[in-house]
Amino acid sequence: MKFQIPIGPQHPALKEPIGLRITVEGEIIRDADLRLGYNHRGLEKLAEQKTWIQNIYLAERICGICSHSHTTCYVQGVEKLMELEPPKRGLYIRTLVAELERVHSHLLWLGVAGHEAGFDSFFMYTWRDREIVMDILETITGNRVHYGINTIGGVRRDLDEMQVKHILDSLEILRKRSEYYRNLGTTEPSFVARLAGVGYLSPEDAVALCAVGPTLRASGIARDVRKDDPYAVYEEVPFEVCTADTCDVLGRAVVRIKELFQSYNIIEYLLKNLPAGPIAVRAPRRAKPNEVVSRYEAPRGENIHYIKSNGTDKPERLKVRAPTLANYAATIKMLKNGFIADVPLIFAAIDPCICCAERAVSVVDARSGEEKIIPMNTLKQLSQKISYGKEKKRVAEWPL
Amino acid sequence: MKIGVFIPELLRHLFKKPATVDYPFEKLEVPRGFRGSPYLRPELCIVCRACERDCPAEAIEITAINEAEKRFRMIIHNDRCIHCAQCVDSCPTEAMLMDDRFEISDYSRLNLKMEWEYVRAVVKPKSEQKS
Repeated sequence: MKFQIPIGPQHPALKEPIGLRITVEGEIIRDADLRLGYNHRGLEKLAEQKTWIQNIYLAERICGICSHSHTTCYVQGVEKLMELEPPKRGLYIRTLVAELERVHSHLLWLGVAGHEAGFDSFFMYTWRDREIVMDILETITGNRVHYGINTIGGVRRDLDEMQVKHILDSLEILRKRSEYYRNLGTTEPSFVARLAGVGYLSPEDAVALCAVGPTLRASGIARDVRKDDPYAVYEEVPFEVCTADTCDVLGRAVVRIKELFQSYNIIEYLLKNLPAGPIAVRAPRRAKPNEVVSRYEAPRGENIHYIKSNGTDKPERLKVRAPTLANYAATIKMLKNGFIADVPLIFAAIDPCICCAERAVSVVDARSGEEKIIPMNTLKQLSQKISYGKEKKRVAEWPL
Repeated sequence: MKIGVFIPELLRHLFKKPATVDYPFEKLEVPRGFRGSPYLRPELCIVCRACERDCPAEAIEITAINEAEKRFRMIIHNDRCIHCAQCVDSCPTEAMLMDDRFEISDYSRLNLKMEWEYVRAVVKPKSEQKS
């Protein structure tokens, strides 16, 4: 006997709206279906109406947690279009903020994993220590969430001696705390028992379904854009790609904890080898007609921006492929043959950022289940047909 | 593996100071370079409109009151401002600056509007754009 259970679009187990339709046999999930489109914001269309500079801040607002990832990805693409070479110091600072962001994102994820596994004190402690990174980011960029440090051709703010010292001091505390969480995460029996064996994704499936980021690396495949296709200064920085071979949620947690330590090493290296010089070059206002694909390893996985220019000061097209979108197909595979109680945990393990990944809307007929994409013109005609001949509504008034 | 490895840490924290502050009575200090709200120093503004052009939220509005007398009005719509400080970077004469206020909420969006009326300044813009 099979049942279909809808989870979402609004559900206490989900942080953001997404529709999950699960076919179950008793307690066991036999099939899962993801429904997207509840959080569509029309961001790509808006980008076509704004200038290159304005779009940096728009790209930043694609996501709150990986805001620097999206701007860096966008800015790298635009720099290629404009044939700019950012100065070394600018690239070092850009990479530094990127790694600090990775630390804050992974600490946040650890907390969420603890929360989903029912280990709420772990959640509180990791989030308290995450404040240290947030404070560093605030002191060097001027804001906690939307750093706004990237600009076309470099970065906007320089580092001084005091800030470097502050970061190095805080790094010591973070290292000590992360060491503690690493021991805790692998020795606390109830926590390990909850995560181990949940959401199995075999290496073959992970590659076939194009999983990215820690989800892929937890299946034992060492793929990282920072190593495979180095951008910014990753060619000069020594670091390792962290993997785990358990292929489950525990592996994803282990990969993220290992990456924390790699990030601390990278930050230390960057600060100790910070070159002197300018931080930005001046950018032109227009870009020649061309197209470019930019890749970036965000904390959640590979982030891709496709940018097309047409010779004006605005982009012709900006396409964003957020890492969460690449991980959806693998999530369905992970959910199959699991338990209903594991859904939030498996779903949280890909670190979903749903509003990042919302890009298109399809209309589903409620009675027949038929799906179609309706163009804007047809929608307009439909609305005109409905309102035709009816008396006009009162002109809307501004409430103030 | 043993049970309850977290307990010593939990007990230790019973005797520690709270990590939070008593907010409305006690406030944390914002760091230097914090991006609050933008404001204008009218004596330096040469009305090049670089800030108006670059503002991603279209929060800056410059209108001419009297072209002959070179009188201008600048309105900053703080209800639309996203506090990115691009106007500060774009300004060639450092007429735009950010303050460090962070408690800027209000009951009405009209109260968030800031307005300046001024005569265009005669200042030589810096040759190199502020980076």
